Amino acid sequence: MRPILSIASTTVGEAIRRRVLLIILLIGVLFLAVAPGLGVLSARSETTVLRGMMLGIIQLTSAVIAIVLTVYMLPNEIERRTIYTILSKPVQRWQFLVGKYLGAVSALAIMMCLMSVVMVLMYWYQQHAPISEIANLLKAPMMYFVQMSLLAAVAVMFSTFVSPLVNFFLSGGLYLVGSLFNPFFETLSSNNNTPAFTKTVAKFINLVLPNFANYNVQNPIINPQQTIGNETQYFINVTVYGVLYILGLLVVGILIFDRREV
Amino acid sequence: MQRKPSSLALGLVAAAFVGQAALQGGTIFGTWEKNYSPGKGQLVSGGLSPDQMLFALSGFREMVAGILWVRADAFFDSGNYDAILPIIRLVTLLDPNEIDVYATGMWHIGYNFTDEEQRSDRRYIPSALALGKEGAAKNPNTYELFFETGWMWYHKIDDDYENAVSWFEKAKLRDDMLPARKDLLSMAYQRAGRVDDGLQNYYGLYDDASAVYKKDKAFGNHQHMDTIENNIDTMLVRMVQRGYEAEKQGRPLDGYDANPPFDVGFSVKATVLEPRVIRFEGTWNVLPVGTRIRVVLKDQDFKNAEPAGMKWDFSDNVNLDPPKNETFMQDQLYVKNRRFNRKVDMSKDPTMYPFTGQDYVMEFFYNPRSAPPHIQDKFSWNGEGMTDKNFLNTNVRPGQRVMYTTLKLTRDMILRRGEWQDRVPVIKTTNYQETGTTKQDEDVILNVPSLRGN
Amino acid sequence: MAAAIQTTKLTKSYNSRSGKVNVVDHLDLHVEEGEIFGFLGPNGAGKTTTIKMLLGIIYPSFGEGYVLGKEIGDMDVHRLISYVPERPYYYEHMTGLELLKFYGSLFGINDPALFERLLEKVNLHRDKDKTISQYSKGMQQRIGLAQSLLNDPKLLFLDEPTGGLDPIAHREIRDLILSFRDEGRTVFISSHELSEVELICNRVAIINKGVIARQGKLTDLLRGGRIEVTVDGFESAEAFLKALPLKDTNVRTLPSGFLLDMPELEDTSSVIDSIRGAKGKILSIVPRKKRLEDLFVETVSSKQPSKTITVEESAGANQ
Repeated sequence: MRPILSIASTTVGEAIRRRVLLIILLIGVLFLAVAPGLGVLSARSETTVLRGMMLGIIQLTSAVIAIVLTVYMLPNEIERRTIYTILSKPVQRWQFLVGKYLGAVSALAIMMCLMSVVMVLMYWYQQHAPISEIANLLKAPMMYFVQMSLLAAVAVMFSTFVSPLVNFFLSGGLYLVGSLFNPFFETLSSNNNTPAFTKTVAKFINLVLPNFANYNVQNPIINPQQTIGNETQYFINVTVYGVLYILGLLVVGILIFDRREV
Repeated sequence: MQRKPSSLALGLVAAAFVGQAALQGGTIFGTWEKNYSPGKGQLVSGGLSPDQMLFALSGFREMVAGILWVRADAFFDSGNYDAILPIIRLVTLLDPNEIDVYATGMWHIGYNFTDEEQRSDRRYIPSALALGKEGAAKNPNTYELFFETGWMWYHKIDDDYENAVSWFEKAKLRDDMLPARKDLLSMAYQRAGRVDDGLQNYYGLYDDASAVYKKDKAFGNHQHMDTIENNIDTMLVRMVQRGYEAEKQGRPLDGYDANPPFDVGFSVKATVLEPRVIRFEGTWNVLPVGTRIRVVLKDQDFKNAEPAGMKWDFSDNVNLDPPKNETFMQDQLYVKNRRFNRKVDMSKDPTMYPFTGQDYVMEFFYNPRSAPPHIQDKFSWNGEGMTDKNFLNTNVRPGQRVMYTTLKLTRDMILRRGEWQDRVPVIKTTNYQETGTTKQDEDVILNVPSLRGN
Repeated sequence: MAAAIQTTKLTKSYNSRSGKVNVVDHLDLHVEEGEIFGFLGPNGAGKTTTIKMLLGIIYPSFGEGYVLGKEIGDMDVHRLISYVPERPYYYEHMTGLELLKFYGSLFGINDPALFERLLEKVNLHRDKDKTISQYSKGMQQRIGLAQSLLNDPKLLFLDEPTGGLDPIAHREIRDLILSFRDEGRTVFISSHELSEVELICNRVAIINKGVIARQGKLTDLLRGGRIEVTVDGFESAEAFLKALPLKDTNVRTLPSGFLLDMPELEDTSSVIDSIRGAKGKILSIVPRKKRLEDLFVETVSSKQPSKTITVEESAGANQ
């Protein structure tokens, strides 16, 4: 466990100094800061739009960070030969990979926390909202965090056998598909004209794909009149789902990485 | 030395994937579908979701616009108009050729923001017009947005018909303008008082329609020709009946048409019953139904104000968030049995009626150009057949004889604060008499002549 | 003495377009405990690949190998060995001390006194709070050596330890490596800088195109130099040669007499006796030692090393 934590904390230290990530983060924070000023998009439902926009900015920025952070993680270690020094120590490959992943997720958590704080401040400044409303607003970034951890696991898994550029598009593509497939599938399955075969294929894909859409819980949060039936239960379900998926991806990644010539 | 995957690892992978699939298929998707899927009435979202934004940023603007528009449809069904507005603005920004979105957006902004008693929030109309102007400018090859903007002036603003005329004229210039819709230009000419132009337009349309019929003897084409013929017929009769022809020929007007002008005898009393609740009572000596007197309550220093209204198209900006500190209430007083009595409750919509200023003005306004034809038959297009002993006004609408008067109110009166906490504010015109004090038989009752005879 | 490293037919092959290529080809390596072993070869000879196989970072395609008595890939061995890769890069955001702490934690070591001692040993104790990005190349190499000592290793793998360094840094590193040996550690150096290796290694192996061309004690490998004897007092070269029992010998006429160039392996004393017996006068005897560079060039430039030449003369070194 000790090596894993050491590798994780080193990864965090490295990640929060990476210029690319800091620039992306800065852009995200800037957008958050000017979000209340983008009046062209606000109507009478100013609060609704503000919430939606801020959460959207956090989600998009986090997704970009999650991918950029993870696709270069293994290739960089190999290119700079740091991995050899580490693997020649009593560190198993799975420990290295898990440590790297946990480090990436922790760095992501730090950056997402920062953005959430900015969001809360801007929201507080703009709306003078009560604490309970802000706490409710924070549910979305929490779910995004699980979503981004899943995305990071996808990218880490791919990074054990494809190049960063390919990985960028693979993971990004999977994120898009995984975010859009739920509504697509829903439309497909509720349409009576869909052939049974198509339905079966869609159902299979739905079961196999990482369903990033599960974590897009912003709608009821943006509009307080909406509620989730059993919120706690839903959140637990999708979190367990994410953890299981992450576990599977990491083990697959380890199996590939173990065989990999570095 | 090849490494074999351990069975523990493989088992773990299998268990994890089976577990996630079971969760996804078993419970999550069901709840997700219920809570979040687009297309369900319950769904509400502001702006673009990240995936849509990604598409938008990567150049699929039109596609996103399409998706959003489909999505907005669900909100129309559920009546969630607030959610639609930003979508409309986004769609038109993303894809300026979405004519339907412009048109629907205009209609939506102009008509759908209402208070609890279905009074339109007219502070939005400049934005609706701005959207129309923008849409017309960006889509100059189709008549649609010119027509829609004209319709906004003709039907919603229902006061300044010259603007409707100029937009309909622009629409008529576009090749795809529907022939049937060109008729509306003649109506607009009439309402603008330009009767001759209306007639000339009809004649032109008739020629066009008969040319079409000559080429294609379809029933519909014949019908269209007939319709125009009928319209011309009616119009010519009215021109005679309302003294238009006589005036032009220098003949004296007589009882058959708009002479002598009829005194409508307007009086009004406004009582602030409760905070933000005002009752308007008064008189209007026209017996036939169909009279609507406009009442406007607005800040005395309302920006871009005009008598009994505002400069409706003062802005070229589609501002979906009009000033929150301005109040503008406009309503109609319906006359029945020569009296009107209407309670206006503004207490349920503090955002629409913020009452932040100190002084307010109530305007009462009647413009015969908006009157139904059977009343216009006496008052004529410009009010030649109408007068009011006290409140006839020929300045606020140049070239027209209208009824216009104002009364003043303070914020304290409306909110029933300060000295008005316990006293009921009553503001009235000097000629107002309480019911029962006038003898009914002393009244002059308007007798509107008709083509069918009395 | 036990073998620190022992490989038998260790082979690594990759598939390329032209078929299977053996990057490391049936390598039989033998390194004894306590020695500094030089692993020599031109770039691309398979040095780093061999080290990676020995460390278990990549997997052999064929053959076997033992490090410190355990089969390669055994994680227990990793507690006893260290590796400093060629031109290493360390996490630049860390200070020297943090770097040692990090690598120490991988062993479960958190001993501030040890860190201080190691920093002092590599002469970085004054720079321990500078970040790695501020270190010079020599300092980076030294902090690398410091981290390699964290676990008090029995066996160190140093891949091109002096590559790209200036002469002063060379010397510092060299002294450090010698001190490792004095502490009883086995040091496995891969290098193509022969002058360095010559100065510090006990035994070497020369690898070329994946095959070991020479392996043995440096002194043995460098045997076979020549001896030059300058002689006066003979009428002619023919007369001189007739007097001597020599085969592979060159004689040149010098203004001062004759220069006799003969292999080192010949019986020098009997030659000298013969010269004396023929009333010759010996002006000088100069041994011309073989240099490692000569050996290397000789080995590498022979295009196809037809078979492995192993010079094994030290007693009991073979299995």
